[in-house]
Amino acid sequence: MRNSKYLIVGSSHAALEAAAAIRMQDPDGALAMVTRDTRLPYSPTILPYVVSGRSEPERILLRDEAWFADNAIGFVRGETLAAVDAAARTARFASGAEWRYEKLLLATGAAPAIPPVKGLAEVPFHVLRSMDDAVRLRDAIATARRAVVLGAGLIGMHAAENLAKAGAAVTVVEMQAQVLPGYFEPDAARMIERAFAAKGVTMEMGRTVTAAEPRGQGCAVILDDGRAIEADLLLVSTGVKPEMAYLAGGGVDTDRGILVDDRMRSSAPGIWAAGDVAQARGFYDGAKVVAGILPNAVEQGRIAGMDMAEDEGVKSFPGSVPLNTYTFFGQQAISVGLSAGGEGREVHETVGEGGKSYRRIVLEGDRLRGVSAINDFVDAGIMWQLVLRQVDLSAVKADFVARPLETGRMLMSRIWR
Amino acid sequence: MSKISNSSRVIVCDGNEAAALGVGLARPDVVAVYPITPQSSLVEYVSQMIADGRLQAELMNVEGEHSVMSALQGAALAGGRTYTATSGPGLAFMFEPYIRAPGLRLPMVASLVTRDLLTPQCVWGGQQDAMSVREAGWIQIYCETVQEVLDTIVMAYKIAEHHDVMLPVNVCHDGNYLSYGVSRVELPDQAEVDAFLGPRDVNWHVALDPARPMAVDPLTGGAGGGGPAMFVKYRKGLCNGMQNALRVISEVHAEWGERFGRFHAPLVEEYSLDGADYALVTIGSMTGAAKDAVDAAREAGEKVGLIKVKTFRPFPVEALSAAFAKVKAVGIVDRAVSFGWNSGPVYQESLGALYRTGRHIPAISFIGGLAGADITAEHFARIIETTAKAVTGAVPDGPVWVNENDQ
Amino acid sequence: MGKSFNTIQFHADRCDGCGDCMTACAQAKAGTDDLAQSRIRIVPAGGGVYELALCRQCGDPKCVMNCPSGALTKNAATGVIDWDWGKCVNCLLCTVGCAYAGIVFEAEVGHVTKCDTCDGDPACVKVCPHGALEYKTVAGIFNEYGDKEDLFAPGLSACQGCNSELLIRHTLRKVGPETVVAAPPGCIPGMGTVGYNGKTGCKVPIFHPLLTNTASMLAGLKKQYNRMGRDVTMLALAGDGGTADVGFQSLSGAAERNDQMLFVCVDNEGYMNTGMQASGATSFGSWTSTTPVGSAMKGKSTEAKNLPVVMMMHNCSYVATASTAFLEDYYAKLEKAIEASKHGMAYLHVYAPCPTGWRFSSAMTTQVCRMQVLSNFVTLWEFEPGRGLRFTHPVDRPRTIEEYLKLIGKYKHLEPEQVAHIRKSVHDKVAFLKRFAAADAAAAAG
Repeated sequence: MRNSKYLIVGSSHAALEAAAAIRMQDPDGALAMVTRDTRLPYSPTILPYVVSGRSEPERILLRDEAWFADNAIGFVRGETLAAVDAAARTARFASGAEWRYEKLLLATGAAPAIPPVKGLAEVPFHVLRSMDDAVRLRDAIATARRAVVLGAGLIGMHAAENLAKAGAAVTVVEMQAQVLPGYFEPDAARMIERAFAAKGVTMEMGRTVTAAEPRGQGCAVILDDGRAIEADLLLVSTGVKPEMAYLAGGGVDTDRGILVDDRMRSSAPGIWAAGDVAQARGFYDGAKVVAGILPNAVEQGRIAGMDMAEDEGVKSFPGSVPLNTYTFFGQQAISVGLSAGGEGREVHETVGEGGKSYRRIVLEGDRLRGVSAINDFVDAGIMWQLVLRQVDLSAVKADFVARPLETGRMLMSRIWR
Repeated sequence: MSKISNSSRVIVCDGNEAAALGVGLARPDVVAVYPITPQSSLVEYVSQMIADGRLQAELMNVEGEHSVMSALQGAALAGGRTYTATSGPGLAFMFEPYIRAPGLRLPMVASLVTRDLLTPQCVWGGQQDAMSVREAGWIQIYCETVQEVLDTIVMAYKIAEHHDVMLPVNVCHDGNYLSYGVSRVELPDQAEVDAFLGPRDVNWHVALDPARPMAVDPLTGGAGGGGPAMFVKYRKGLCNGMQNALRVISEVHAEWGERFGRFHAPLVEEYSLDGADYALVTIGSMTGAAKDAVDAAREAGEKVGLIKVKTFRPFPVEALSAAFAKVKAVGIVDRAVSFGWNSGPVYQESLGALYRTGRHIPAISFIGGLAGADITAEHFARIIETTAKAVTGAVPDGPVWVNENDQ
Repeated sequence: MGKSFNTIQFHADRCDGCGDCMTACAQAKAGTDDLAQSRIRIVPAGGGVYELALCRQCGDPKCVMNCPSGALTKNAATGVIDWDWGKCVNCLLCTVGCAYAGIVFEAEVGHVTKCDTCDGDPACVKVCPHGALEYKTVAGIFNEYGDKEDLFAPGLSACQGCNSELLIRHTLRKVGPETVVAAPPGCIPGMGTVGYNGKTGCKVPIFHPLLTNTASMLAGLKKQYNRMGRDVTMLALAGDGGTADVGFQSLSGAAERNDQMLFVCVDNEGYMNTGMQASGATSFGSWTSTTPVGSAMKGKSTEAKNLPVVMMMHNCSYVATASTAFLEDYYAKLEKAIEASKHGMAYLHVYAPCPTGWRFSSAMTTQVCRMQVLSNFVTLWEFEPGRGLRFTHPVDRPRTIEEYLKLIGKYKHLEPEQVAHIRKSVHDKVAFLKRFAAADAAAAAG
């Protein structure tokens, strides 16, 4: 049985920010970070760029050994969490190793969610969640001639772009009617879809896959309209689910993720959760959501660490706001907050000349609720703050709608000063 | 037996110069001065010695006695041997830092050229200044002669710096009588004084030195916790040092006598006490005239002796009790007043020593020599006459004001 | 203590929106006059007011935290957030982290750009014609102080919001361990610097002098150290009572003798440690517990003794006033004062508004300190023999005295004629000093 005052499981953004926050307040308390991965910390977000060849696996590490040594953090790799005994404050790992902790942070992230498609288990397919996944996929893309991507989320769209650039015939199958649902309204999604179509990617929106069958070295996927699409590379990117099987023994309340309060505390004393595994309050309606986005992992990790170390400066989590930045074929898409219109909301949508750019501003009274834009840069960080702080735009509303970039900068400059 | 120095020089000087010469022989590191009558010529002599290079010390001409004592405490806390002199109102002005030196256990030496205190306005001799600070925690030694002034100044450093004492010493000599009175003085050899004093060791116990950092005099006491007990420890330590001084003063005087051939009585001198029925008690320079009067009375058949108090703080209870045990009445002559007791302070304190004897004998308080007045042999003859009557029980009601009817 | 870095400071009140900074930046970074490629952006806010969007080189940079590729790093040597094109994947998550628009996507070059301070020589600052941009290079001083050992014990018990603790800690860091510290009775030993019941609050020798004899005790100490050939600094950390009132005689004597010491007076205008009684340094009109406010009395009826001026008239080797709201100014003076104390008396008079005794919120101390200076209620100057008096932070367009007085509870009873009195005396005091400064400047020029 090993002991650590602070035990952090996981090694990505939430875990790293929590460790830094703890060390800011408590330089000496024993602190261990245990991770399933065998590598130094890296971001799941970087994986599509490893697949594309833009990033070398060894060059994107977020911390080095020296950082752990300098901060007196014990870093243990290759250990998968198997069970947590919340009452005894112990954590057991798949290897049999056991740790006793005073304070535990679960930052175990998420794993690919594999849809219940008949025959899928019998065919070879890729997922993309770990560096090993990324390296395998990168190598497979180099030889793929025909590829099918299940799911038009960020992972799928990045992979589709990379496959298309590599010369493969690519089909993207999405159950919903558009790409990147939840971040972009249909008009914006169409722009993105058109860009892919223009590069020869077949976009099968609003389609489900009913079965998968082996075909030679590859497979065929059967769509709900009966068509069969053959592929020598299949990527399943239909979303992720929080990695929390180790809580099967009970003692910690879960829903879609680990339920946490605004300090990232779980229902069990001494256990916090942050990042993609956590289900925290949503900003708009208060309902708890698994946000699964990097900036939220950073925020939550920091709050959890400060709270664990009893840092009096800790501030409550303001709530998850949907955030997305996405670059495709050299074009930029940014989405902050709500994109949908509706009761009481005021929507200003602008499409640029020739349909090459797009901007949508959603207001509610004098408050900004969301901005989304394609090829029309806005400062996502400023927009996020304007949403969170519910800044009163009454005096500058017309300016803001006409020129959100400059007006936003002016407002935040004044607020900060 | 005695290793009488044959390298002494004989000079003629007054008490202030004798004190300055004693200071020079003790080689202080830092001297701070501020002039005040009748001390002024003393610090002038010391200043001139430094100016001439005869004494290699730091001379600080400061703006008042308060700073004199303060600067010297600083120097002592840095390990320096220090000296100054003052009188009357100067001592009063110095009082705030003065009263602090014993608690810091700083082995300082300062001359008190005694002077009567205001008011009435007065610049002449009297011991009211020194007697008024007798509860400040300083050792007080009163000199009888110019020679004793010189010798005692040197001895004072050895007493003060003794590890069992570590207390400041006032060497008191009477303003006017000793300060300006000229006589023959033997000046000891420097090398022999150096050997007598040995290596200086001023701040082994308390220091303001980055090489051994400590807080000096943090706040102590307050109800609850161990603060008051710590305060008691310091207070009791000071009292113990004072009691140790009785032994050390005697030892140092004995050593001085052996080295230099002049044996001064350290605490109390018994003079002509053998076969005496009664005795005078004196302090300071009045003792010379008193001894003459005693000698004359003895020749006339009076069984009178004399007891001189040299060390007044610590009060030599045992030595004085031993002397009192030999007589049937005492006439105690003061050059100061204890206001609340309607007597002189030596008288008042002697009552305590008398209690130690277990005998109740008549004692008369005489107060004389105020404001520079002479207590002449004739005055002492009358004092003897009055004291003689006390043996048979005739004790005046209240003190006898010796110079009350002087013209 | 964290590391400090140099930074570009923006004075919005001096900016007229000319845009020269943006042109200079676009030229320096992209060789173009296209302002879109400037990394500093002046943003009109209407009414002739301008705001700024620029990388703050944050100490706690969200852009770095949000970067999945390791392309952004906080440079430990310069403090600049470095951006590595070789690692950047153009995901724009950094822009989500930045609430200052300090890192933005630039369509012309196809990736994010941000200010790199031109390697410590920012082009924008050099061209600003109005001084609205300033490259603050004091970080080195803060780092120097931060790297030095704090020679006071942790956990001193000063009141919340007290600037004296800040002051004495910084001061002793610089003065260093070869020092004897005198802390006469008052707030400074009251907060535990000399310790209690046998325990010390300081890592260097420290003592309680009497309230009356700080300067003379240090003078004696120094004499003995000189005699022993040891270079030890004598440092007084005294309040205004122990300096201007009962402590003055010994200070005056030591100054007259030019005794070698560094005497720091921490002026909180009264005996704050013992219950806020008035001292000779208490300002006119102040409520204190001995100059109370009632039907017959309206606070202190006399002016404060202008002690630094009095000290200037002695033979000191250095005299200066200082404020903890202007620490760079203080550091520069402290350095001179330490040097001067090797030869004679160096006197630093530091204004120390007291939240407890003056009745203002403990969060407001630095603001009150700043307003003291900006209203000319106190002036920052130094006097060096041979060079004369020089203002180190002249305030030519002072804030009104009312702006200062209203911050402080001890003045809240003031009647209009009392305010008028203060206004006049502030004016007269500044005029008096200006005559000195002008005469000295003329003498130097002649």
